[in-house]
Amino acid sequence: MNKDSQMRAAINQKLIEMGERERLKELLRAKLVECGWKDQMKAQCKDVIREKGLEHVTVEDLVVEITPKGRALVPDSVKKELLQRIRAFLAQHSTL
Amino acid sequence: CNGAWLQRKQHTLQPTYYVMSLYPQIMFCFGRARRSSRCGSPAGCSHVNAYKVDNWRPNLRVIYQCFVWSGSAETRRRKAKSCICHMCGAHLNRLHSCLYCVFFGCFTKKHIHEHAKNKRHNLAIDLLYGGIYCFVCQDYIYDKDMEQIAKEEQRKAWKLQGVGEKYSTWEPTKRELDLLRHNPKRRKMTTNCTIGLRGLINLGNTCFMNCIVQALTHTPLLRDFFLSDRHKCEMQSNSCLVCEMSQLFQEFYSGHRSPHIPFRLLHLVWTHARHLAGYEQQDAHEFLIAALDVLHRHCKGDTTNDNGKKANNPNHCNCIIDQIFTGGLQSDVTCQVCHGVSTTIDPFWDISLDLPGSSTPFWPLSPGGDGGTVNGESHLSGATTLTDCLRRFTRPEHLGSSAKIKCGGCHSYQESTKQLTMKKLPIVACFHLKRFEHSAKLRRKITTYVSFPLELDMTPFMASRWASTNYLPPGLYVLVRYALFAVVNHQGTLESGHYTSFIRQHKDQWFKCDDAIITKASIKDVLDSEGYLLFYHKQFLEYE
Repeated sequence: MNKDSQMRAAINQKLIEMGERERLKELLRAKLVECGWKDQMKAQCKDVIREKGLEHVTVEDLVVEITPKGRALVPDSVKKELLQRIRAFLAQHSTL
Repeated sequence: CNGAWLQRKQHTLQPTYYVMSLYPQIMFCFGRARRSSRCGSPAGCSHVNAYKVDNWRPNLRVIYQCFVWSGSAETRRRKAKSCICHMCGAHLNRLHSCLYCVFFGCFTKKHIHEHAKNKRHNLAIDLLYGGIYCFVCQDYIYDKDMEQIAKEEQRKAWKLQGVGEKYSTWEPTKRELDLLRHNPKRRKMTTNCTIGLRGLINLGNTCFMNCIVQALTHTPLLRDFFLSDRHKCEMQSNSCLVCEMSQLFQEFYSGHRSPHIPFRLLHLVWTHARHLAGYEQQDAHEFLIAALDVLHRHCKGDTTNDNGKKANNPNHCNCIIDQIFTGGLQSDVTCQVCHGVSTTIDPFWDISLDLPGSSTPFWPLSPGGDGGTVNGESHLSGATTLTDCLRRFTRPEHLGSSAKIKCGGCHSYQESTKQLTMKKLPIVACFHLKRFEHSAKLRRKITTYVSFPLELDMTPFMASRWASTNYLPPGLYVLVRYALFAVVNHQGTLESGHYTSFIRQHKDQWFKCDDAIITKASIKDVLDSEGYLLFYHKQFLEYE
């Protein structure tokens, strides 16, 4: 493992351990609902399902098709807020 | 089903309040119900049934407790340490855990797939969201018992950590699913559809009623109430105004384009509000208040099943009218001698505002109230703004020597000042610009132009400490923001005139309703109009 991924793993562990990951998840979920992202995703998923037919689509198909779009549609302001939260968290637990 | 005119759209926000989609998937077009199982027969995935032996329930619970939701510090520590892919050491990449043995593997690189294939352990659980995957069916499965366990454990974990959704999203009940199945026809709201727009025939000087009906039928929360069939009538047949409103909403959202003839409504209004009976011209504001009053009285049956939930409005009533329209007005009377303050709070359905040009002097405003640029209104054009009127409404007023009040502090009759402020903001704020002056000396219409904004911030007029600083904590700020959704106008004179209304549909489409004729209008048309009744809707709603 290189240094970067070691760092990621350590941060992830800390986030999980302190329960911060769950809080961040909750915050992100709320923000994405609030900005309409969830609705957009839902509509796109519906389109995919309609196109392929309910019987011929798996969750995995949706993940593959929707993930890139989903990532692209997350507003910068939301990313920024999450980043700030993570930074603040790390500053508080700077023993890493 | 898109069409939210509100800035931001749907559902749960931070724990303290709830953001509703005010132009949501209207109830008659909600989504398809999720099938209980994807895999093969409706009886469920057979591979799951093979798992459901012996102590599967407690075992599954332990997995959820320790590795998925991890509510306690101890389980979180364990999860942080041990949840990595046993093949590549990754901690992300959609980690799954085998349900048959202790094995974690990532999904993205198919390490969990490899394990499943080699060991023939064909069920795994997603450690981030708790979904259960069947490698034989090659998809996530939906098993009622397992979902129940997952949900229960998630709630427990949330409780331990003090996070999580406090309110769950709506799911159709069994009865609703049956109804949906038996009524396959759906009506869909698309961006350009005109569902919800319908003209109303004038039955002889009934434009005062038509303009209010247009405003009411386009009140988002009221529409949601009626279209979701929430009224339970306790009245004798044919005499309930709420039932008639229900019917009216059905007519409006039926998709029919011909004008509706509201004769039954008119008859009911005549029966229940005698002062409005007859073919004379009436005041739209008076009709609005009378209609709300009758609706409130006829809502009795809807309020009894709230399991004793306390009403959160100053009218102490849980009926839909009070939930939407009732606000609380705080009146502070300050004794000029001992400076003791006596406070009372009264319910209101609307705010009547004095205008410049009436015989009571409008200016000057209270100290520091030079107008400013609150709500994006400026005084460059010299016009009075709605904010000015509200400032005047909430300014401290000297009651004068002829109106001495007995002070509770110094127990004597003293001069005092009185100030009105908003204690509780209603969901829909109706502003009544007092254009009709009926004083002892004169009766006339005041046509002074008052500019009003599309979005209104009520902070400066509130009874809280925030009002003075004009600053609200960011989380609360959204709760005092309103959006204009209907404007009633009066053309003509005091003696004879005509009412029309502008109503908002979808995100930013406006329509002018002139009895039977509906035409598209621009935002400029709306904002340049004279304005008699202004209807604002809260943009964000609190959980109650």
